[in-house]
Amino acid sequence: MAERNEPVAEGVFALRCQELKKSFQGVMAVTGATFDVPQGMITALIGPNGAGKTTVVNILSGMMKSDSGHMQIGSTDVTNWESHKIARMGLMRTFQLSRELGGLTVLENLLVAPQHQSGESLFNIFFRPGRAKREERENTERALEILNTYGLYDLRDKRSRELSGGQKKLLEIARGVMASPKILLLDEPMAGVNPALIDRIGGYIMDLKAQGMTIVMVEHNLNVVEKICDHVIVLAEGRTLATGRLSDLRANEEVVHAYLGEVINASTTR
Amino acid sequence: MTLFWLSVGFGFVTASVLAISAVGLSLQFGITNYINFAYGDFMALGAYFTYVLNAEFFHLNIWIALVFGSLLMGILAVLLNQFLLSPFARRFSKSFYVMIVTFGLSLIILNVIYSIWGPNVRNYTMPLEHVLHIGPFLLTRDQLIVMAAAVLMMLGVHLMLKTTRLGKSMRAMSDNTTLAMTSGIDTRRITTVTWFLSGTMAGIAGSVLGIAEGNLTPAAGELFLFVIFAAVIVGGVGSIYGAMAGAVLIGMATEVSAAFINPAWKLDVAFVILIITLLVRPTGLFSRPGKG
Repeated sequence: MAERNEPVAEGVFALRCQELKKSFQGVMAVTGATFDVPQGMITALIGPNGAGKTTVVNILSGMMKSDSGHMQIGSTDVTNWESHKIARMGLMRTFQLSRELGGLTVLENLLVAPQHQSGESLFNIFFRPGRAKREERENTERALEILNTYGLYDLRDKRSRELSGGQKKLLEIARGVMASPKILLLDEPMAGVNPALIDRIGGYIMDLKAQGMTIVMVEHNLNVVEKICDHVIVLAEGRTLATGRLSDLRANEEVVHAYLGEVINASTTR
Repeated sequence: MTLFWLSVGFGFVTASVLAISAVGLSLQFGITNYINFAYGDFMALGAYFTYVLNAEFFHLNIWIALVFGSLLMGILAVLLNQFLLSPFARRFSKSFYVMIVTFGLSLIILNVIYSIWGPNVRNYTMPLEHVLHIGPFLLTRDQLIVMAAAVLMMLGVHLMLKTTRLGKSMRAMSDNTTLAMTSGIDTRRITTVTWFLSGTMAGIAGSVLGIAEGNLTPAAGELFLFVIFAAVIVGGVGSIYGAMAGAVLIGMATEVSAAFINPAWKLDVAFVILIITLLVRPTGLFSRPGKG
């Protein structure tokens, strides 16, 4: 896995959240998440358990509506948009526990990802079949290339429910990449993955950044964060505690108290 | 032996009608995850739309009337879903409540048919046909068209599901709606398209049932609905290919059995097969884990 060395761009953001709040039956899960995600960078979203990371990710991907606050992709306000509209705006996500379209083959899992396809319309299927077929052929070629990159080519015709846990993680990332998103939101991509695969996934994420994609990843593994992330957002008790480089955050007492100390202690006592 | 081959011929016709209706019902179930008990009445209403275009007003050729009558049923199905069923489905997470609404809708449609066309048997305007001898089978040209239409529709549904983006999106939604949405699939639009296809197939199935039986009555669809359920459950609920296979099995079994037992009992044969299937393989004969 290569080390990151680019400086964080100032002022250019791919995603902006302002004062996002969310409660469940009176219990506040997110109490004021405010942060910018720099464009073309890898941003880590870290924090102790119960910090509201997953809730924030669910709000960002449109799976949950926030009670208040704003969210912007580029210059477009996408607050509380439906998830398919957010995906079509260019934000794709993966899940902490891998989710796949189990009844579809590995290849078909990728073929549902590209947006704005003419084959989505019944009219085009009947009256412009050539265009829909051409797009489908081009998508298939691209999907096979991506599967090859992610080491899933030989599994292309297998039903995705038959894949192993690690293969499912790779399939989720591959499906996200297939959509050519501006922002890829990875919810704990290294969770439950063996060390060799952690290195591979880290490499893929760096490659995506090199291609200009903005990555946001929820991650507990600080070694990974240290190695590949340019920017870190720390959430605690549902609000943004601090943002910056991990090396700078290590000197922040509040962050150390709320999260880093806990993680460092946990790793040293293991 | 002649009677046996005759019944096999009828079996093909029944299986064709059943296949169209069972696949239409399965498509809709796969997307919405609730059983539409008004589906039989969709079939009847579609058949009456065809009747209006063929025998009451425009006097169109039966097959042209069938196309327009079925499309009309498809559009009506979309509207019923949009303004009646979807609001309930959004409000109640349990599909049981929406199923109750479809029961109510079934009664409403049936009574609308009774109030407009009355309880009497109606007939399409069709030229009298000679019976054709094809090998050991005796079939009319219209029955052959019904079978060809069913085969073409099954092939069309297969190609749509497997090769088009729309079909893959439908299967993705049937598999995991949340994941489909976060992958950018507009599930509301897919639902609308599915209701249109399902409603159109109900209209076609109802009309060809009327053609195959030689008449149409308001309750014909409702009675046939139970045979459709048998085909869908025997094939494997939610599986399109299971519905096709279940339709062939139930259609052939009911008609062939009529050659050996009192034809009044032929529907019971369908339910005997259904009960045996549920006892031996509750998920259906052709089901795989998950849907699609």
